[in-house]
Amino acid sequence: MNTVALKRNGTLFCDGKPVADEPLMCLGMQVALEEGVRLRSVFQMIEKYPLLARLNPFLPTYMEQYRKAPAEGCTCDDFDGIVFSKTVEMIGYPGEPRLEIYSSLKGEGHDSPSEIRNYELEHLLDMPLQLGKLRHIVFGDRVEEFAFGTAFNLFEFIDGIVWELSFHGTLRACALRR
Amino acid sequence: MFEKIIFATTGTPTCDHAAHVAFDLKKKYNSELTLFHSMGMPSRGFSPFIKDSRTGENEYMDNDYADWIKEELKTYYAKQLAEAGTVAIETSAGESHREILRAARKYDADLIVMGAHSREEEAGATRYRSVVGSTMQRVAKGAKCPVLIVSRPCTTCLWYFSNIIFGTDFSKASYSAFLFAYQLAKEIGAKLHLFHALDISSIHSGKTISQDEIEAMIAEARQRIEKTYVSQMDDYDNYEVEVWEGVPYVEILKFARERNGDLIVMSHHTREVDPEDAVLGSTVEQVVLRAACPVASVNRPDKVS
Repeated sequence: MNTVALKRNGTLFCDGKPVADEPLMCLGMQVALEEGVRLRSVFQMIEKYPLLARLNPFLPTYMEQYRKAPAEGCTCDDFDGIVFSKTVEMIGYPGEPRLEIYSSLKGEGHDSPSEIRNYELEHLLDMPLQLGKLRHIVFGDRVEEFAFGTAFNLFEFIDGIVWELSFHGTLRACALRR
Repeated sequence: MFEKIIFATTGTPTCDHAAHVAFDLKKKYNSELTLFHSMGMPSRGFSPFIKDSRTGENEYMDNDYADWIKEELKTYYAKQLAEAGTVAIETSAGESHREILRAARKYDADLIVMGAHSREEEAGATRYRSVVGSTMQRVAKGAKCPVLIVSRPCTTCLWYFSNIIFGTDFSKASYSAFLFAYQLAKEIGAKLHLFHALDISSIHSGKTISQDEIEAMIAEARQRIEKTYVSQMDDYDNYEVEVWEGVPYVEILKFARERNGDLIVMSHHTREVDPEDAVLGSTVEQVVLRAACPVASVNRPDKVS
């Protein structure tokens, strides 16, 4: 109940039925990823439900890149998959105590989570995509870190992924001229 | 072109990319480089205790402490200092942005180089925090010289710059930014891309505008670029004029990525606001946050005309 499932081909399923053309009603639902979902599935979802492309001004650009990318084999060897996770930071000092919640999209595999911003989309599209845990970090006299199971809704899932992708940049050009 | 450069640093890894550019510039232009660190705020009035800007701890401020900080900076930048020749290291106590601006005035700097943040941020975290460090914003607002903001690794930098993107909103401050971009492009033989993003959302305010109207506005913006900027470029012909419609910061970033921009030059305020009253315009803030290349914020004509 109140769960929307993302299939490998980008179709959304709610209560066992495919979502036709009302994806906005699903934005607040808990998202579940079916087995085999890749980053490409997210773009396929946006292709199927174009209204979702209006959630972020960068999405049309990334949709163009996705359409130009090869239909398969868009992977990189540096990590095994991509994990979407959430972080809650409690910062007690310096400054006013505050709590911040944000999402991350990172490569996971060999060692510690790695930044994906230096990889072109065409090396990420077919990487398996998973939902990760919630990291709870407390900054005080010591830094404490905990990990919990959590749920993500469809909105934060799409928005968090596109926010992270909007940081992708042009190191390719720099490296070519170096 | 850059006779005197100030590199404002926290002496931590968050300034490493900016350090790379600052030392690179010194090497290329044989500039006088001052490595400047603001130690922190006096805890009150003329108190000898300062609140360290990096740790937040109270420290007793005397000459020994200042020497210790300088020594720490020397150790941190030992490799670059060994290759760079003479570099002055200066520190002072006070609010960081005021001290940086004071130092820039004192040394009559032609350029301030700094990082965007005082700490390393995750991309997700930046949306809930001040996107660009408040010190950087205040320096960019008050500086009479261009401020080069380096927040991401830059492997080529000014040695090999070949594409300079100048983003304009046709404001008075944008003209100062143009002068800087043009002079730099001419100096290093780079291609100058004169770019304007037509912010359609702010123009039609709810009304639907036709494709013909958009095209007419684009043509008008092109003419304006030709009249205001191209006419000032004498016989310099290594340039391109481009006008795109959309959300300005998205379009500038897209354009910079498509043209392999090595540097983005912009003025840092909204069109209507006087530079004295402006804080960092949201367009520049978003561009600084995401640009893979350095961003130069130029707000006044003092050092570029």
